[in-house]
Amino acid sequence: MDKEAASIALALVTVLAVFAAIQPILPANNQPFSELGVLGPSQTLGGYPTSVVAGTPFLLYGYIGDHEGASGYYQLLVKVGNQTTLVSNSTYAQAPVILTYSRVLENNQSATFPLNLMLSDQGNNTRLIFELWSYNVTSSSFAYTGLWNQLLLNVTSH
Amino acid sequence: MTRSRASRGLSFLLLTIIALGLCARVGGAAAVTQAQVSSANEEILSAFAAVSVAERSGGNVSALDAKLNGAILLVQEAEDVNATDPAQAAADLQNATAAAQGVVTASTSVEHAGSAARQATEGTSLGAASAIVVVAALIYVFGGRVYRKAWLRVYRDSVVRPAHG
Repeated sequence: MDKEAASIALALVTVLAVFAAIQPILPANNQPFSELGVLGPSQTLGGYPTSVVAGTPFLLYGYIGDHEGASGYYQLLVKVGNQTTLVSNSTYAQAPVILTYSRVLENNQSATFPLNLMLSDQGNNTRLIFELWSYNVTSSSFAYTGLWNQLLLNVTSH
Repeated sequence: MTRSRASRGLSFLLLTIIALGLCARVGGAAAVTQAQVSSANEEILSAFAAVSVAERSGGNVSALDAKLNGAILLVQEAEDVNATDPAQAAADLQNATAAAQGVVTASTSVEHAGSAARQATEGTSLGAASAIVVVAALIYVFGGRVYRKAWLRVYRDSVVRPAHG
């Protein structure tokens, strides 16, 4: 091996070794995100009810995940809206909250939990809106994460 | 006359005891108010803020997060049973508040431990990186010379003969 090749090999090994040595102090997560999911009664992505009886409880499951690089204090809000209720990634629904679920998650932790729901008013295409909020320590308030989901239901009298 | 007065006194005493007992019972069974629930929730939020600070310092906050979830559950339980068992609801709120305050206290030591661990990790990493660079520079400057000296030492007793001698 000539001297030039040896020098290049030494430089490469040095760069790799230095990168490995400082790995523990490099930021771990460059693209933080949270997760929201709504699962059916069997805790799967399916089997959602399309029709429920007013005043009768029914079961769904919520799923939330934290990949923000830090612990998060989350609130899942379940709201009841209709076809005209506006909700988007930037705007939360202006609708009554029928259930709030709160949970602190560690980084890279997720949770699945039951949502025991009941709708009192009958109607077609009632929108069940699920929104994920998280606590912002800097502003000392919960902020809408922009994650939402919905389920269209016919609420019948019997 | 004396006996009648004593009997009246005894009756008064009994009625007083019963009235006090009823008052105490009503007071103990008073439903928790929304303000009390909000106060417990505020304690939990403060505790979460303290946990966040500890985590940013590098502390392991798994146990603190678990305690916060316990406190959140207690508040939810208090709201659920408030109508049927106000005494239990009040106890739940009290326990939730105590748990949140305990998290605030514990987060200080977690924060200090995290800071110390992070400093140690940073020191180790930067020290190792510096050492690697220094060793590489030494190899670059003196490597050839050291290699040749070592080669000569290893093969000093060797005799070189022509291949077809």
